Amino acid sequence: MNAIEIHDLHKSFDGFSLKDVSFSVPQGTVMGFVGENGAGKSTTIKCMLNLLKKEYGEILLFGKEIVEHELSIKNDIGVVFDDLHVPETLNATQLDKFMKKVFKTWDSGYYFERLVQFKIPERKRVKELSRGMRMKLSIALALAHHPKLLILDEPTSGLDPIIRDEILDLFLAFMQDETHSILFSSHITSDLEKIADYITFIHNGEILFSEGKDVLLYEYGIFKGSKEEVSAIPEHAILRTRNGAFGVEALVLKNEVNGVFSLEKPSIEDIMLFYVKGSV
Amino acid sequence: MNMVGLILKDFMTIQRQLKAQAMVMIFFLLMSIITQEGAFLLTIVVFIVTFQAITALTYDEQSSWDKYANTLPISKGDIVLSKYILSIFLMIVGLICALPIVLIIHRFTPNNWASSEFFLTFNLIVTLAFCMLALLLPIYIKFGSIKGRMVLIAICFIPGFLFGLINKQLPDMLVILTNIKQFMFLAPFAGLLILWLSSLISTAIYKHKEF
Repeated sequence: MNAIEIHDLHKSFDGFSLKDVSFSVPQGTVMGFVGENGAGKSTTIKCMLNLLKKEYGEILLFGKEIVEHELSIKNDIGVVFDDLHVPETLNATQLDKFMKKVFKTWDSGYYFERLVQFKIPERKRVKELSRGMRMKLSIALALAHHPKLLILDEPTSGLDPIIRDEILDLFLAFMQDETHSILFSSHITSDLEKIADYITFIHNGEILFSEGKDVLLYEYGIFKGSKEEVSAIPEHAILRTRNGAFGVEALVLKNEVNGVFSLEKPSIEDIMLFYVKGSV
Repeated sequence: MNMVGLILKDFMTIQRQLKAQAMVMIFFLLMSIITQEGAFLLTIVVFIVTFQAITALTYDEQSSWDKYANTLPISKGDIVLSKYILSIFLMIVGLICALPIVLIIHRFTPNNWASSEFFLTFNLIVTLAFCMLALLLPIYIKFGSIKGRMVLIAICFIPGFLFGLINKQLPDMLVILTNIKQFMFLAPFAGLLILWLSSLISTAIYKHKEF
């Protein structure tokens, strides 16, 4: 079963549109959702949450259409944005009181454990918390009703590596349950390399690929050489090329290229750059 | 439960603001005792307390609360209605606190208004507060606090303009007002009805919003 299924999602604004976005997140997996700023990650996520109204297309969460089953679906998801969007005069204890009324499954014990773990002061107002603290509080709020699916929109952007690592560990702990799933949007590709099982890449409102991370990292290779050397590689093996500092670089399908070509292992960032800046 | 949660959250949000307003109200209490004007205190209390719902809306807007609230299992109708219920609740609390003081001032003031006049003033203030809320909430929900203020100013010009137009018929108006005086006890109910209609409009506006 898929935790998320999106088919032909379309949404347009002045000067930007999502064009027939389709991808799915199998249950029990982490999907990294990557793309540069303004590529359409947040718009897709907002459509998934019915914060933006789709023009057409189908969005299924746990097999149910979001618009029709909005409230029951939202009982089972936890959402983290790039900031904590609650009135700044509230504190963590007051947010617990509110959440208790919202979720039947709200687990105050678990919530306060996370506050202690993250060293978040219970009675300090949100506006007095550092950005890292606010994000950690946001994550504690998203987890304490024991959701089945986490939807994370740039949760680690602007945070230092130590806090990012702590947060990623928490997501990995969440994934210990096989029925749990995560959609993790980020442009920090190193975070996704750590925890994602699949990578969906969006560019200019279009999905360029949605693949298993291992497929991308182990089946793709980068060849760096002269124009003549690149032309010796079979055409069907070359996915993208671009001009590098010392010649031409090509993103290739490893298995389709003769062993005499020395290939480098690509990172997700390399692959993104080939797709955005390279040519076919 | 959601509704209780939303109202509780608004209370906690404006808690400090309410405390600060309490200080202001103590000042007005002293003023009204000195000037022996109970109606003045009643007006101030009802308007300050009731309009704290607008303060709550402004805090929500500053933090993009609606973007977050709409990821939770809370219906859009509940989110809107909670602001109306909060206003009415605050008004009742405000009245409970202010009325005994107003009545004491009333009792010990030799030249104060008659009981029937008091009842009339009370009804008028409550109705006016309901009507103001019925106007303000949909505007703030639709336009936000900054644009909303401008729209409000524009809207306030229209009654001013109309008043200018009907100014000549003013003596007749006073006759009409005197005639409807006996139905004044119905005014707060009419105010509540307007508030209910306003909540339907606000909900419709909110359901069309994107976050």
